[in-house]
Amino acid sequence: MPQSSAQNDSAESQPGVNPRPLDLVERWMQSVITHPAGVAAGIASDAAQAAIPVSPDEVERVVTRSQALDSIERLGVYANAYYARLLECLRDVFPIVARTLGEELFDHFALGYLQKYPSQSYTLCELGARFAQFLDETRPTEPDAAAAEAGLSPDWPRFVVDLARLEWTVGQVYDGPGMENRQGVLADALAAIPPDRWLAARLQLAPCVRLLLFRYPVNDFYTKMRAIDRADDDDPIEDDLAIPRPEETYVALSRRDYVVRRYPLAKPQYALLAAFESGATVEAAIAAAAADCDLSDDELAVALHRWFADWTADQFFLSVAFD
Amino acid sequence: MNRSLTSPNAALPRLGLPNLGLGVGLRAAHFSHILEHWPAVDWFEAISENFMDSQGRPRYVLDRIAERYPIVLHGVSLSIGSRDPLNLEYLRKLKKLADETAARWISDHLCWTGVAGRNTHDLLPIPLNEESLRHVVARIRAVQEILERPLVLENPSTYVTFADSTMSDWEFLTRMAEEADCGLLLDVNNVYVSSTNHDWDAAEYVRRVPHRRVVQFHLAGHTNCGTHLIDTHDGEVIDPVWALYRLAHELTGGASTLLEWDAKIPAFPVVHAEVLKAKRHMSAALPGFAASPQPRIQKPSTAPAAIPIAGLPLAAPSEAIGQPLHFVPPEVR
Ligand SMILES: [Fe+2]
Repeated sequence: MPQSSAQNDSAESQPGVNPRPLDLVERWMQSVITHPAGVAAGIASDAAQAAIPVSPDEVERVVTRSQALDSIERLGVYANAYYARLLECLRDVFPIVARTLGEELFDHFALGYLQKYPSQSYTLCELGARFAQFLDETRPTEPDAAAAEAGLSPDWPRFVVDLARLEWTVGQVYDGPGMENRQGVLADALAAIPPDRWLAARLQLAPCVRLLLFRYPVNDFYTKMRAIDRADDDDPIEDDLAIPRPEETYVALSRRDYVVRRYPLAKPQYALLAAFESGATVEAAIAAAAADCDLSDDELAVALHRWFADWTADQFFLSVAFD
Repeated sequence: MNRSLTSPNAALPRLGLPNLGLGVGLRAAHFSHILEHWPAVDWFEAISENFMDSQGRPRYVLDRIAERYPIVLHGVSLSIGSRDPLNLEYLRKLKKLADETAARWISDHLCWTGVAGRNTHDLLPIPLNEESLRHVVARIRAVQEILERPLVLENPSTYVTFADSTMSDWEFLTRMAEEADCGLLLDVNNVYVSSTNHDWDAAEYVRRVPHRRVVQFHLAGHTNCGTHLIDTHDGEVIDPVWALYRLAHELTGGASTLLEWDAKIPAFPVVHAEVLKAKRHMSAALPGFAASPQPRIQKPSTAPAAIPIAGLPLAAPSEAIGQPLHFVPPEVR
């Protein structure tokens, strides 16, 4: 830093002659308006004091008052807007988590998140990137008596984590790369691969395909919540927000014509696609699917044929490669 | 530095940039309407950050619109006043987007959005003094060189002023525009909001900015909180702001005019109709600007600025957030 803030502060009686360095003013203001306990606490915080050591009583030496508002009230306009704006953004990114938790609980988590992981990106599109991770990190692990009484599984917070992962991934698929201007692998192209080469083939998933494994049936819950949102006011669907029982579920997300689509998967389907995602050959992928499957070999062969037909029709595969 | 990029045009009104007419800020809520009806709007302003990373529908829609209408890119994250280094990756993406959409120009705000690596996603004011001016002018020149076109900077709505300021808004804007050789986006609603909040004369503000540097106007609605105004972009333009627009139009000879509507967004035709009202204020037959409009402001406030609840601030009601969000909700089936 060019000079100590204490030195600088002593020069403040002559504004303009020796103004505070701009970076100190900015560090001070940012610390003040982003402090979770408000402006006065922000002014007293170590970060703000390190930049400009003024007390709340002396703040007019930094920020002037208007006829209608004093300096702290004026800073409060920015302080209120800071959390309100970012909370609104998180509610837009995680609308179903927000509705499920209720406003108060969602805001509580979101405020904690914004303090632990403040935005460092030029775009708000990244704001929710670590929200599911944060919920997982802060998830209570002790059994919760109130939850047990309500008939909830002890690890119900994982449901919220799963739901947040689903909503975040939906947004990523929506605005990420897609197949709208590309041709994926067609069913005919797969059928034309000679049987002796087929087992050694590697199928690359389309960039918009995401595979998700959940501990709770969050995709069904998501569908139900959206139906409630879309229902007519005259013909509402009963609002049942009960958290479902834990059940391992699998979902693929993809996009067609710029609209995100959700594909519930059976466990062997997930195993097969996840193997392709990690670069496995068709042979290894089928082995992975078979390991997670109670179908007979013949039944699995029939099922595989149908799955590949459906997935190629939905542009799940970008390319086929051979070693 | 390559001065030839901007200097020859500096003597021309609007830096030689065209008057695009009456435009509307492009918002996700209107995507479908625009693609279906191709409304008779003169031009669109797109929020740069909403599109520069998009590989989905937002970018698809912008590309379709750019095929039919002039586009201007308006950013909220340049942070020209910050003491953090310029984000070169951001500037590279911004230039690419501008090239690909044939953007007529690129604008952002005279503000900083964060420091020490953080982004508050707000448009924060700087003290208006010689140090800030030197810093901002040097950064504008660097940005113009990277973008290979003039930058157009907007006066933001502000809610504080600094003890270390030695210049008025208009004095700073004038010197900044001349010394950096950049354009100005005069947001007449922001002039009104800031002037009210800081007990300035809004008409004086409009009279004193360098009129030949004004490339574009913004119009918007705001919220009167009793003790201060907040730039919420959530409604119609009020009459005193139209009066300022009339004055600005007379003094500048006219410039591209854009309506911003970001919260409680109505149907597209309502937004379009609002900007078309500007035509009434361009007629020479209309009486000129008469008196400085005086907004109704109460004083002082009895409410504390931030009410901590369980250690956390009470969020302001969403209708009182200045500089609203620009987030595109996904379409999902
Ligand atoms: Fe504006």
